[in-house]
Amino acid sequence: MDIFRTLVSVISALAIPALMLFFLGYGAFKKVKVYEVAVEGAKEGFQIAVRIIPYLVLMLVSIAIFRASGAMDVFITLVRPVTDFVGIPAEALPMAIMRPLSGSGSLGIMTETMQAYGTDGFIGVLVSTLYGSTETTFYVLAVYFGAVGIRNTRHALPTGLLADFIAFLAAVFFVGLVL
Amino acid sequence: MLNHIWLALIVIGILTAAGRDVYDVTQNSFGNGIPWEVRLEGPDGEVTGTGQGTTVQATLHVSAAQLRAHFSTDAIAADAALPARVTFRDDGSASAQIDVRVASAGRFTVMAEALGGGETLAANLRRAGADWEMRVDDVSLVYLRKVTNAAFEIAGLAVEIALGLIGIMALWLGVMKVAEEAGLITHLARLVRPITVRLFPDVPAEHPAVGSMIMNISANMLGLGNAATPFGLKAMEELEKLNPKSGVATDAMVTFLALNTSCVTLIPATAIAVRAAAGSSDPAFIIGTSFLASLTATIFAVTISKLLSRVKMFRFDRAEAN
Repeated sequence: MDIFRTLVSVISALAIPALMLFFLGYGAFKKVKVYEVAVEGAKEGFQIAVRIIPYLVLMLVSIAIFRASGAMDVFITLVRPVTDFVGIPAEALPMAIMRPLSGSGSLGIMTETMQAYGTDGFIGVLVSTLYGSTETTFYVLAVYFGAVGIRNTRHALPTGLLADFIAFLAAVFFVGLVL
Repeated sequence: MLNHIWLALIVIGILTAAGRDVYDVTQNSFGNGIPWEVRLEGPDGEVTGTGQGTTVQATLHVSAAQLRAHFSTDAIAADAALPARVTFRDDGSASAQIDVRVASAGRFTVMAEALGGGETLAANLRRAGADWEMRVDDVSLVYLRKVTNAAFEIAGLAVEIALGLIGIMALWLGVMKVAEEAGLITHLARLVRPITVRLFPDVPAEHPAVGSMIMNISANMLGLGNAATPFGLKAMEELEKLNPKSGVATDAMVTFLALNTSCVTLIPATAIAVRAAAGSSDPAFIIGTSFLASLTATIFAVTISKLLSRVKMFRFDRAEAN
């Protein structure tokens, strides 16, 4: 397990430099005019970032209003019977609900929950597993669809939210298995 | 679907805020108009307050009974001790700047924020026998104000986030373009062909979109969020080139995002860092549980995206092109 962990930290430090070296080196080997081509590609970065703005503003504002109003407490009371039934502990519920909505919000909740219930108990491991195993679905949808001007997202949101829900159930199951 | 949830978040948010504010008004939850009886304790014991124009750093004691009476709740058991800068006036009264960052501040924190003082609450003090009588400005419509502030603040922040992407996007899209010109992305696509033809039946196996998607998912697995986003957006651009109906998501896009948001995680870098900072004895313990949870979620996500794409309300209708 220790060897695995060392490997993990080496990979995460090495990945980016190695990737750059490999891509650019391979390009040079294939006689691509690396700088000229790279500049050409880089120009797109600005346009994409600007294109995202309206999508991101509207998505984040709607989530911010929901968070600031304290509606999450009300929402937790409503879904509590269901989540109790499927075995999600009540202490981890704020995390489970905030995770798909807001990255910074769920980071804060993870920290608070670990301060209150400890880092290495069931609750602590569960909330950090929840944080580590899923993405901020609403943010990803806004940014990725925004970049190409998609307004009708079809089944993307229900798929993402259902996947989040399954990730939470799986996290409860696997954390329960090892602790 | 997104339309409804987006609207629901706003409507539920505003209605909840309004409801809570109405409740606070009817209950007078902040004790508006009722003077407080408080005790002042300076560096040398009880403050009697004679020195005109002087300022002392004192502690303001509020009894639990006072807190219960003002905040209309029985849930408070402990007294509050708040640090305050007290300035005495010529007539024996005083003004106080109360620091609400301490744990016992409770609802005073909300009042300070609502009155625009941030972390300090302004109050007026007047002698009343052995104690002091404290008056604070009325507080109302706390949650509606919060909602307004949050909306304006986050609107600015969203633009900052988007513009903050420019640098990292430019860097990676530049590097990516070189790899594309060199034919590397096509090689990569050819390598994973057996998987991608099943996942993305509408995307030609050697299309540049496939290479970008693979890059995005690999970066996500390694916890390299900064590199993952540019690859992912590049993939979306390539997928959009195959889209017969601009503005509407294709099956391939939704499957790709299902893979992306549930993404198999090898290194949950942020969560490990937070655990280490919080004093965990084994911060990397969650690598195993995160991997298994995310693997399960990914398998389900892809299956769900395939199933839902056939549901009538989500079906991709080629006929009504716009």
